[in-house]
Amino acid sequence: MEEQEMSKFVTQQAYIDGKIKALSKMIPQLKIIHKDAESLVTTINHISESSEKISGKIRELDTAREKVEECQKRVSDLIDLELCSQGVQKAIYDEDYEQGAALVHRFLSIDQSVVKQTASDFEKVAGLEDAAQKNLQTALNTPAGDKRYPVIYADTLTLLYEGVARMVNVHQPLIETYYGPGKLIAAMNILQKECDNQTRRIVSEFCKTRNMNKKMSQINEISRMSSSSSFSKLEKTDPKDLDVLIGEMTLMHSKIELYIKFVRSKVMTDLDVGISDLDERSKNVDKLEQLIKNSQVSQSKHELLGYYLRMEQYYMEESITKAVNLDTAEQGQHTSSMVDDTFFIIRKCIRRSISSGSLDGICAIINNACRVLESDFCNILRSKLKQGYPSGYLDLTQAYNVLQSSIQQGRLQPGDTEVARTAFVVALNNADSCTYYVEALCDRVMLEIEQAMPAMKENDRGKLESCLSGLSSVTATLKDVIEYGLQQLRASAIKPRVHPWIDSFMNINHEMTEDELSAYDAGETFVQTLIMNLESLLVPFKEVLTPSNYDSLVGVVTNEVISRFEKIVFKTTFNRLGGLVLDKEVRSLAGYLTTSTSWSLRDKFARLTQIATVLNLEKVSEISDYWGDHDGALMWRLTPSELRNVMALRLVLERAPNIKFIRVCI
Amino acid sequence: MDDYKFLFKVVLVGNAGVGKTCLVRRFTQGLFPPGQGATIGVDFMIKTVEVEGEKVKLQIWDTAGQERFRSITQSYYRSAHALILVYDISCQPTFDCLPDWLREIEEYASSKVLRILVGNKIDRDDREIPTHVGEDFAARHNMYFLETSAKEADNVEKLFMQIAEDLMEQARSKDLPRYDTSTANIDSRTSTIGDSSCCSKLI
Ligand SMILES: Nc1nc2c(ncn2[C@@H]2O[C@H](COP(=O)(O)OP(=O)(O)O)[C@@H](O)[C@H]2O)c(=O)[nH]1
Ligand SMILES: [Mg+2]
Repeated sequence: MEEQEMSKFVTQQAYIDGKIKALSKMIPQLKIIHKDAESLVTTINHISESSEKISGKIRELDTAREKVEECQKRVSDLIDLELCSQGVQKAIYDEDYEQGAALVHRFLSIDQSVVKQTASDFEKVAGLEDAAQKNLQTALNTPAGDKRYPVIYADTLTLLYEGVARMVNVHQPLIETYYGPGKLIAAMNILQKECDNQTRRIVSEFCKTRNMNKKMSQINEISRMSSSSSFSKLEKTDPKDLDVLIGEMTLMHSKIELYIKFVRSKVMTDLDVGISDLDERSKNVDKLEQLIKNSQVSQSKHELLGYYLRMEQYYMEESITKAVNLDTAEQGQHTSSMVDDTFFIIRKCIRRSISSGSLDGICAIINNACRVLESDFCNILRSKLKQGYPSGYLDLTQAYNVLQSSIQQGRLQPGDTEVARTAFVVALNNADSCTYYVEALCDRVMLEIEQAMPAMKENDRGKLESCLSGLSSVTATLKDVIEYGLQQLRASAIKPRVHPWIDSFMNINHEMTEDELSAYDAGETFVQTLIMNLESLLVPFKEVLTPSNYDSLVGVVTNEVISRFEKIVFKTTFNRLGGLVLDKEVRSLAGYLTTSTSWSLRDKFARLTQIATVLNLEKVSEISDYWGDHDGALMWRLTPSELRNVMALRLVLERAPNIKFIRVCI
Repeated sequence: MDDYKFLFKVVLVGNAGVGKTCLVRRFTQGLFPPGQGATIGVDFMIKTVEVEGEKVKLQIWDTAGQERFRSITQSYYRSAHALILVYDISCQPTFDCLPDWLREIEEYASSKVLRILVGNKIDRDDREIPTHVGEDFAARHNMYFLETSAKEADNVEKLFMQIAEDLMEQARSKDLPRYDTSTANIDSRTSTIGDSSCCSKLI
């Protein structure tokens, strides 16, 4: 037993000898330091006594004295160590192995504790606490006019974390030397406590100085009031006043986030190098995650994020309300200022959330943006469209005359009708341009987030994409709003005008002779009048609507024209020439409307065109050229019974003996 | 292939420690996680199930119960199709907080959201809330009710499947709020959330 121990001990001898030699070399220096320290203590004690009257500086001196005393202790430890090592040497020489073993044991235990102390209070040695206190004091004393004042707490956090980072970087090699790699986490544990304390202090000072409690309760109060809809009377905080504070909060949050990232990557690297056993390593990784999760730094981070999100939400809602209230439409612009302004605000808020570095924060702001756009904003647009489009004077020339006389009389003041019309048109355009803004927003945001967080985890990406897909329902709601507006327009401006124009078709005899036909062609035909009227209806809108809205309007007009036309055709009887006229007129109408838009409307005309084709048949039997499943057959949009009804309109056909054949054939 | 006909968002809320995360893990991964610490902010998981031969994708949002995460978690209520409100049958305070949670739901969620009350941890023998008390509460507030154990996998599958079936029926009868139908439609046209492409495809 003892023998075994001894042989182990002897094999260690070379190592111990080496250490002892190294230590021996230090002895003279240590002795000097020891003496110096002693005399320093006396001096300081003396100064300390006399300076008590002066006061003020006392704490600093006390700290200095403490430091010196600490230093003294360390030195005496080292001397103890030296004595110990000398003893070992002697014991070995004397072959007193028992004594030697005891001394070695003592040596090792001292060695441990000294090294451990070095690690444990390295933050104090390097003055972390003092430095942090001083920085916080500086922050507190920064005058409000100072350039850094608006972000002074973010600056203070930066200084703190930079200090910690520096310390970690400096001490990491020492820890690695004394303890081996993979032990940084133990040191980090100790260091984190001090960092936690300082962070808590800084954040709580921030809350105090920046009146966070008061602001938060004010905001909560306002949102409570506004949901009970008596908000207009309440004195509100101008969102602009929160701008700077929100900026500081995101900056603080991002500093904490950065620090946590630093700790994680430092420790992980150390673990990767130091611990090869996978189980052991993952245990340590868990330890690290727990350390981070349970740290005050994380708590403070969540606290700040919570404040930030509340405030940002308030900022977004209030700024958009303001933008809506200050809405102005510039002459010659399709949209009004509220669209630009609203999306500017939303982009700004989302950007700010990105700068906070928190994915949950970004997602929450995107969710809020979706809510504000989809409910509040779309409701505003919808309520503007609900006012309707006043039809006023139906005839353009009449309107023109009124305008002319207004100009002549020097009152170019647009009347109420014009104001209401403009408001309607602008709202419709706003809804349309919002759909593009939403799309662009979605693309941009994704891009910016990818740049800001290049190493996003798959799950986080899923989260983000799910939140961004909320914007697609904003688009859907906007499309509904546009549709609603178009229906309003149809009811008040299109239907009442288009119907009489089409109905005049009935005033024309469509069982005409050759003479009547040439007389008809010589005059202003039905379709010429109709196209002119449609033109007068559409042209004013072409200038004021967005291209896409204008296309939709032409679509609505076309539907209205076609469905009315069909009805009227069924109330008319035709002979061959009448059918010929109809066929020609339908073609030119289709041609006109199709060229009015960027989409093809020909398909909408399919039924009407087919009706005209049938009425324009020379002989009944020709229908078999078009009906059936041979090559020349048409894709019929009319049902067989509709087709029979159409043919019944052709007097000649009806009288034709072949009508029975046709019945069979169809 | 990750194609699906319907996509529904399910959000779990309730005090910290009642077992929301365990319920989600049990359902999505089939396990009862050992000591995984409190949820931070929100967690996001997906499971595709089959209802009447149709693929239904459930997007499950597991929220943190603590007050300080409220401004994050609240932002998810509005787009939820179903909200699961969880309490711990062996912990009276978690039941006492239910009215507060309901107030939050009223304030932030769609009025048509499917609401389910869940009493979890029925495997425990120190029950404090009798089943009928939970049932009464749910009935009074127009919610479904179910008691579960994430630990023993009791009723967990049933809970989520019931939700999927109900939501699908709603979707089929077009009874979903505007917001929801559009999302479901649009999502089912595109490939999937979670694939690497950007959101623009979702628009
Ligand atoms: N006995 C029992 N314990 C459970 C059950 N579900 C969760 N727990 C425990 O309750 C604690 C909190 O669970 P967790 O899912 O994190 O709760 P959360 O905060 O609501 O997400 C953990 O210690 C779980 O092990 C259950 O069904 N039975
Ligand atoms: Mg949880």
